[in-house]
Amino acid sequence: MMERAGYLPGLDGANVEYQVLNYTRGDLRVEVEVPALSDEQLVRVINTVRDARERILAPMRTDEIIAVIDAVIGRLLDRDDPFRRKAEELLPAVTGYDAEMVRLGLTDYLKTFRAPDLKRFVSEDFANPGLLDGFEAAPKGGFVRALGPPVLAHVWAGNVPALPLWSLACGLLVKAGNVGKVASAEPLFATWFAQLLAEVEPRLADCLAIVWWAGGDERAEQTVFGQSNVVLAYGGNDALEAIRARVPITTRYLPYGHKLSFAYVGAEALDAQKAWQTAHRGAIDIMRYDQQGCYSPQLFFVERGGGVSAPEYSRYLANELESFEKKHPRRALTLEEAGDVAAWRHREETELLAHPDHELLGSDSGQWTVVHTERADQLRPSGLNRTVRVVAVDEPAQALALLQPYRALLQTAGVALTPERLLPVSDALGRAGVTRICALGNMASPEAGWHHDGRFNLLDLVTMVEVEQSSVVSADALAPYAD
Amino acid sequence: MNQDQVVSELLQFMGRGDGSDGAFDEQALRLFAYQFENSAPFRRFCQQRRRTPRTVRSWRDIPAVPINAFKDLTLSCVAAEAAARVFMTSGTTRGGVRGKSYHPTLEVYDASMQRNFGARFMQGRDRIRIGILFPDSNAMPNSSLAHYLDLALTHFGADGSCNLYPGGTLDLALAMSHLEEAEASGAPYALLGASFSFVHLLDEMGRQGRRFALPPGSRLLDTGGFKGQSRELELDEFYDQLAAGFGVARSDCFNMYGMTELSTQFYDDGNTTCPSVKSGPHWIRTRAVDPLSGIDVPPGETGVLVHCDLAHFNIVTAILTEDAGTIVDGGFVLHGRASGAEAKGCSLAVEEFLQAAGR
Repeated sequence: MMERAGYLPGLDGANVEYQVLNYTRGDLRVEVEVPALSDEQLVRVINTVRDARERILAPMRTDEIIAVIDAVIGRLLDRDDPFRRKAEELLPAVTGYDAEMVRLGLTDYLKTFRAPDLKRFVSEDFANPGLLDGFEAAPKGGFVRALGPPVLAHVWAGNVPALPLWSLACGLLVKAGNVGKVASAEPLFATWFAQLLAEVEPRLADCLAIVWWAGGDERAEQTVFGQSNVVLAYGGNDALEAIRARVPITTRYLPYGHKLSFAYVGAEALDAQKAWQTAHRGAIDIMRYDQQGCYSPQLFFVERGGGVSAPEYSRYLANELESFEKKHPRRALTLEEAGDVAAWRHREETELLAHPDHELLGSDSGQWTVVHTERADQLRPSGLNRTVRVVAVDEPAQALALLQPYRALLQTAGVALTPERLLPVSDALGRAGVTRICALGNMASPEAGWHHDGRFNLLDLVTMVEVEQSSVVSADALAPYAD
Repeated sequence: MNQDQVVSELLQFMGRGDGSDGAFDEQALRLFAYQFENSAPFRRFCQQRRRTPRTVRSWRDIPAVPINAFKDLTLSCVAAEAAARVFMTSGTTRGGVRGKSYHPTLEVYDASMQRNFGARFMQGRDRIRIGILFPDSNAMPNSSLAHYLDLALTHFGADGSCNLYPGGTLDLALAMSHLEEAEASGAPYALLGASFSFVHLLDEMGRQGRRFALPPGSRLLDTGGFKGQSRELELDEFYDQLAAGFGVARSDCFNMYGMTELSTQFYDDGNTTCPSVKSGPHWIRTRAVDPLSGIDVPPGETGVLVHCDLAHFNIVTAILTEDAGTIVDGGFVLHGRASGAEAKGCSLAVEEFLQAAGR
């Protein structure tokens, strides 16, 4: 099967070269053509987007844009829509994830982008959303408005399906001209989104572009970043650092690095009745996208003193992972990925020989692994792809002490706590560097308007234009009706 | 069985040349039982994998020890202090922690090397003038490669053979004059050493605009890859440059694939085409497995290589490497390392995690 990625306004009929990326999953083979653009073509695409944004998107009202995005999302949620059908068929093949998991995850994710959610999204960052549409009276006097960048470049990474939607929606809401670079790991969703947007609102057809280049391509990156007003990038720290070196100093750069997320299970969630549910919810977070998301748990801190002990909880978790393996099997790993997971697991097995208070639970086929340890002395990573370390602790402070060296990398904590403890523990987590606290089981589905990595999704993109009170006063003096 | 019995059995087994499945299995199971009984860490490892001499029926059932475990476990059937020789890995990964192989005697190692080297590299010739491009055992007492090359020099080197790393460093002038002499002598010559040493020598020859035409019957043996110690070359390019630089046909350029964690080496039959097919003698066997399940991959597919080396009697016979390979007729083909996948998601990968902790 062949699918073409990329959405290139301004290059109709131009001589575009394509490179073919191959994806194989079982018997299904998908070939995706990605555009390999010349410098001159990249510049032409960006100029087209900048012009169209200036003429069409910039003057639109935010609620009009919300209505358009909502209509696109409506199409993507409709299981009979050809785009949705294509997504359900091809995304599992391209990413390797279980098809049913992709379908559920997609719906879960897309439904947080409906009109009411998008409005919430805007008002999370703008107490007065009118600022995006024109000058509003400022409380301090004068007037103020928020302007999105003429060109916003996105560098997407990773294979979590539909991830680009997040920053694309943000870009559209602030009326930016969007130029997004898709990752080879999942080049399709952003392309379909752009095509659908043009179908739903043809006037916006030239206001965004989806391009591709091999990650780290210096020539392409310098060309695109040099033409952009804001650059937003996802990736590992090494990749982000390389990008930073290519972004002009006058251009705002918003890097989103790889993150470390974890679960914290209070003893109150571990009585005989609740423990199964707590384990089930924990396993959902591990299963979703095989821990590839920045919000996916790598570690579980489990409190001692519950009706079900911490080691027992680990076994419950193992049991749930085993049943997910039947329902939503882990994606097939490449030999290198399997080698890395195996190396992690072997290391843990070796550790086991030295520390009898460790326990390693895992399927013989290596589809999932739970390592339980009673020793909260040193934090070690998980191997991802459904491998997790469970650390027994007495109280949150113990977990936080272990996490301290990773402060800059922390993101989500999935918790199971009583109402009484929720805010005090959250307070401690926040101070330790965590930016998102959610229920266990919800780690992989952030709610609409989430402040990604604790930042303002929209505010970070705009510049404020202020008309100071002095100019209002002096204008008065110049009015034709002035005495 | 005690160690002396094991050694004499193995020497006989090597000498008999019986390459049948039954004979290999029988010897492998006897060794497995010996190691299970005498090496406590290995026994615990097997028990964790639910494998004991009762459940292991064939060499394929012997749990393969990941080579990384050599860094954490003292795998030996005798007390570590009783080892006559300890070979160590270079410790380039994991903060310099080195994997160790304990040898209470080198009798079996040496016999394995000599029989196999004689058959595969010497091909019936008794001695040949040899130049070694690697430090000797005095300079690197824990290097299995240094010992291997010392054996080649001692047992197969003709008059005029020498090590070209006197004092542990490559003497380029000595190497050039040794090659000149060899060229002039008209007698076959063998240059053996680390792949990266060959690159250093080629670079020097390039600077001097020098090429050699070694006499007919000459041959080269490289091993170990470039390991970041020299420029990295594609295999085809490497053998083209060797052939051009030394006047030796690619069919006479051999590559040895060996590991500190083994007592037996693999060879190809020259490198006319790359990648070449590697194979070993009848006392070592190789599988390609899924690294996570340990199960053989379907024939023709690439897996991670497991070697079962009966000559590695004191440590463990079966090791799980980090090398990707495919089993083919007559041996296996290597495809590089089976780890270090590029992160696909946005969750922190193991390497990044460890880096962050180190800050």
